Amino acid sequence: MIVRMHFGIAAAALALCVFVPLTPAQTDSESRSVLKGAPVEYMFPEQVTVAAGKSSDIALHFRIAEGLHINSHTPRDEYLIPTAFAIPEGLGVHLQEASYPDGVDLTLPSDPSNKLSVYTGEFVIHAHIVAEAGDHLVEAKLHFQACNNTQCLPPKTIPVAIDVIGK
Amino acid sequence: MKRNTLVLSVVLLILAIFAWAGWANFEYRNQAAERLLASAAKGELVVDASTGDAKYVSPLMGKPAPAFALEDLSGKTVSLADYKGKAVLVNFWATWCSPCKIETPWLIELRNQYASQGFEILGVSTESDGVGKDDKAAWDKNKALIAKSVQQMHMPYPVLIDGDSISDQYGGLDELPTSFFLDRKGNVVAAQLGLTSKSDIEDNIKKALAN
Repeated sequence: MIVRMHFGIAAAALALCVFVPLTPAQTDSESRSVLKGAPVEYMFPEQVTVAAGKSSDIALHFRIAEGLHINSHTPRDEYLIPTAFAIPEGLGVHLQEASYPDGVDLTLPSDPSNKLSVYTGEFVIHAHIVAEAGDHLVEAKLHFQACNNTQCLPPKTIPVAIDVIGK
Repeated sequence: MKRNTLVLSVVLLILAIFAWAGWANFEYRNQAAERLLASAAKGELVVDASTGDAKYVSPLMGKPAPAFALEDLSGKTVSLADYKGKAVLVNFWATWCSPCKIETPWLIELRNQYASQGFEILGVSTESDGVGKDDKAAWDKNKALIAKSVQQMHMPYPVLIDGDSISDQYGGLDELPTSFFLDRKGNVVAAQLGLTSKSDIEDNIKKALAN
């Protein structure tokens, strides 16, 4: 009887000790940072089939997060970082040239006299590539720098994964 | 006798389990607290639910500004401690940041207006491009670009380079411009993220001078 009581007390105390809810400090659930998440996402294609050894044009689709813009490939200010697409050499796929869309003019409300050349929403880069015969899992890169009207994120490079099949 | 020994053994075993569980719980809580502290050390732009305005909440508010010593464009080391006794605006900016360049003329005007009261600005260039001193060519190119920008904008206050090296101490600096206003004792009395307005900056300068 005594043993059973001891066990009962011990089990209850143990349960309390181990399973007491660990209450974290209160966080403000309404707090949120405005510029969170990926500023630019690669959408598609994930796989392309091209003629091996011949120049092919593939259209790469990207999406910019709402409220943000990135500099076009040809920003007007020499200090601004252009959007640039690249494919590392030695992956069986050679980037001959990348064709970028024209930027759209954007004027920041605080500086109406200055026009920026930017991309917003979705945009397409045409990559002119030559692929060797075979299946090549290419990790291309897109370098850009994003801002909204009042603040800027650091320059960033994102991977652009494409399965290129040369036939 | 045999029964007492059994009870004693069981009690000792339970006590040992208690001790272990208590220790494990303590460790778990410690780690959770550390994780929470680490996440809280990052500044956040918080939207006021009633007004819809975004306000920067820095974990450095009311605390001594983290000490730093960085090179200026001439290669001279400038330390934050050199400015003790003055109200200081530490302004993190970058050459590629358009809102920073809109803000800079305001900063220049305000600096000239309040300098006589013991106010100074330290512009800290934070290029965030991963270029370190070991890559001398890229480092020099960056430095030349910053110098050109400083010259074009006629920035009269010290401009320091390699702000990335102190970014973590100042809450991560995920977005630019970011400014910290320090009182004469070196405590952070206000912080701003993003382009606000000249009057907002002026209000914070006055706050820094008043303390």
